Amino acid sequence: MTHTTHERTQVRRRRRLGAAAMIAAAALLVSGCSIQIKSEPDPSIPADTMLLASDKGTPMLERNFNPYLVNKRSASSYIYEPLVIINVLDGKETPWLAEQVDLPDARTIDYTIREGATWSDGEDFTPEDVKFTFDLIKQYPTLDQKGAWQHIDTVEVKGQHVIMHLLDDDAPAADIVSQTLIVPEHIWKDVKSPDTWRNPNPVGTGPYVLGNYTSQQYTMDKNETYWQADKIEVNHLVIPAATGELDIVTKGFDWAYSFLSNVEGTWGAANDHNKFWFPPGGVIGLVPNMDVAPFDNVDVRRGIALALDRDKIADAATEGYLGAAGQSSLMLPNQEDELDPTLPNQGMITQDTAGALEAFAAAGYTQQDGKLVDAAGKQFSFSITTANGYADWLRAVQEVRKELGALGIDVQIKQPQPPGYQQAIQSGTFEVAMGGMGNGIMFQGFNNSFNSEFAKPLGETTSSNFGRYRNPQMDALLAQYKATTDEATRLGLSHQMQQIVYSDFPVIGMYYGGLWGLYNDKKFTGWPDADNPYAPLQTYDQTPLLVFTHLKLRKDGE
Amino acid sequence: MVRKLGLFVLTLWAAVTLNFLLPRLMPGSPTDAAIAKLAQNGPVSAATRAAIEAQLGVPGGNLWEQYVTYLHQVVTLDFGVSYTFFPQSVGELIWQAFPYTIILLGIVTIVAFILGTLIGVLAAWRRNTWLDALPTLTGTFASTFPYFWTALLLLFFAGYVLHWFPTSGAFGPTASPAFTWDFIVDVAYHAVLPALTILVTSLGGWIIGMRNAMINTLGDDYVTFAEANGLRGRTVAVKYAARNAILPNLTGFGLALGGVVGGSILVEQVFGYPGIGFLLFNAVIGQDYPLMQALFLLITVSVLVANFLVDILYGVLDPRTRR
Repeated sequence: MTHTTHERTQVRRRRRLGAAAMIAAAALLVSGCSIQIKSEPDPSIPADTMLLASDKGTPMLERNFNPYLVNKRSASSYIYEPLVIINVLDGKETPWLAEQVDLPDARTIDYTIREGATWSDGEDFTPEDVKFTFDLIKQYPTLDQKGAWQHIDTVEVKGQHVIMHLLDDDAPAADIVSQTLIVPEHIWKDVKSPDTWRNPNPVGTGPYVLGNYTSQQYTMDKNETYWQADKIEVNHLVIPAATGELDIVTKGFDWAYSFLSNVEGTWGAANDHNKFWFPPGGVIGLVPNMDVAPFDNVDVRRGIALALDRDKIADAATEGYLGAAGQSSLMLPNQEDELDPTLPNQGMITQDTAGALEAFAAAGYTQQDGKLVDAAGKQFSFSITTANGYADWLRAVQEVRKELGALGIDVQIKQPQPPGYQQAIQSGTFEVAMGGMGNGIMFQGFNNSFNSEFAKPLGETTSSNFGRYRNPQMDALLAQYKATTDEATRLGLSHQMQQIVYSDFPVIGMYYGGLWGLYNDKKFTGWPDADNPYAPLQTYDQTPLLVFTHLKLRKDGE
Repeated sequence: MVRKLGLFVLTLWAAVTLNFLLPRLMPGSPTDAAIAKLAQNGPVSAATRAAIEAQLGVPGGNLWEQYVTYLHQVVTLDFGVSYTFFPQSVGELIWQAFPYTIILLGIVTIVAFILGTLIGVLAAWRRNTWLDALPTLTGTFASTFPYFWTALLLLFFAGYVLHWFPTSGAFGPTASPAFTWDFIVDVAYHAVLPALTILVTSLGGWIIGMRNAMINTLGDDYVTFAEANGLRGRTVAVKYAARNAILPNLTGFGLALGGVVGGSILVEQVFGYPGIGFLLFNAVIGQDYPLMQALFLLITVSVLVANFLVDILYGVLDPRTRR
């Protein structure tokens, strides 16, 4: 967040006043330090009701429960459900509105639709609703947020089955198609403009229905006819608009999602039952622009990779809550099963200054008077672009600058506003940028970051592969992956792709970006944590459904 | 008068045009802003980008075509759909936020002006007594606090530590806007801290401005003459000195009133107050051209109108400017 300050400066202020101000400020500081903020839950909230910080008002809440719109209320994903829920931590799938997903071949997805589920108004949920939903988002492409129709050719209903015929050999597309939220045909068929409709009285298949609604707070009640009603023990949700950091710490929330600086001293100290779990949710790294010299030279990329002390960078960026990331593009331990066992040291690259200098020497850079210079004697100098206001990224870049500076490289930091940063990486107007690679769904991570299909020329906009990485071998592996449904073959291909990332450095991995889950286990137990990582604690998208079906009321004496 | 009107129209056109150009000089587009928001939660696919672009209906065409469309919108007062708050329309958003800002800031600005001016008159008239020292010192002191700092301080102590006042919003979480006594009380209660912030930081300026101008006029011959004539002290102070001394403060008041419409971004931001300032902040962050332009236009016009009114009032108080 940026603050522009209109400070009135008065040059000649009386000294006496200045001294008085100093004393007052000091007094405030001292008293401020000794005040311990405690969370004070509202006593009127009963034991089966959860206070949930999932929907930040701006600052009012608009009654928009259309699950396909950008500014929907976040609770619309507790009302509408997908066919399959994918745990973004490790890509593990849980069948949901579809009982089963089969891939008879690489261009067909066969969903067996669950029987016995109903809409919250009592109507039956049917395979026709699924087909209707896909037809709807085809007719209104602006609703197709995950891009299902970039993969689907036709949709067919056969009894309890919905069969997707894909445009091509495209087995990983199932992960995208399955995430589409399903809406009821009997209501949505009469909607005139579903692309702007605010759906004020949502009817879904999910565990909750809308209760009271005001523009500063709304409540959700358990859907008594939910198809997994026996698993839902949290009977009510209270979702206020006021969810600033101070609110989160002081108002006794049961569940929140937010990075808080010094989380133990703030969130943790406010209440004995306040806990947090920050699992890795992505690999944050440096994205070298392959279309800009000298970053097209693998020796330069290797040199930078070897010069970095990832532990220090991770500490600086995440206050020590998350660790250094390796060069496999995977999140460990989440995705341990996916890791190529032949990668040395689990793909982790450690700082090796001599090795870095060797790599730079191979690229034609030598140290001279403490500076790393090219053949013409000019210092190696480049800029790293990050987004203004992303404090963790900035701290990481500052540490990178320090470490590369020690070798004699001059690093500048560019930090445009987030939209400007987006524009820079999309159009390739950067030398090295902060960014990420990989996510819980292995194929999507690799495909987005390294498929040369997305490597548009400089100046043209792309939404993926910002580094403009082009490697025919990688493309071939990705294509083979798309064409197979065999798990063992897939794993082999994944290992080969990891090897390429490990040796070619299309992105230089540095540390894990975290998913900042905060919870209170006084009233509810069964939260996911490192020992039971069934879902991240994010309050948006589909994984909250996993959390709601796992939470239990704490019994007396527990 | 014709010349004045011509100048008014020219200023308005220049403001409107700048208003069009400035946001477009910012790097990144509204789609980029929307994606940057989503990308904080994970990578955004190409398909999502396309969907968002289509959803927002970001204007195409070259700059000139956009300008023509824009001018047409200004004339017809149709500002379209907001990007940040899609699918809400700009008109709807402004209509929602306007009352809160006008009531909060309007009342506070008028109270601060009247109170500050009166205290300033008193301080100058009783200069070098405690009636002068106290308000002048505290006024100077308080007005040097940065706005947002005062706001945070009040928020922290009166809100979070002492629980005297609510910490955010314009009304309680379970209330819904209605024209009832309960709701009005609720709104007033929620407005206390933001109002106090603005009062504390702006009062000093009025006091000191008025006091200093007053002291200057008090030294003028006509005041001495009035005193020598044996007029009552209060008459001299109010009718002779204050009437002339108020002129610079009045100009400031005009500007401040015009500024009310623009809201108070930082105060509204700190207290999560759903006024125009908060809306403007969100519009700028989200590169929401339609919303930004409508808001800037509103602010520009209100400042121009406020100045125009002050101009007229000035003529009443100071006959020399009447021509």
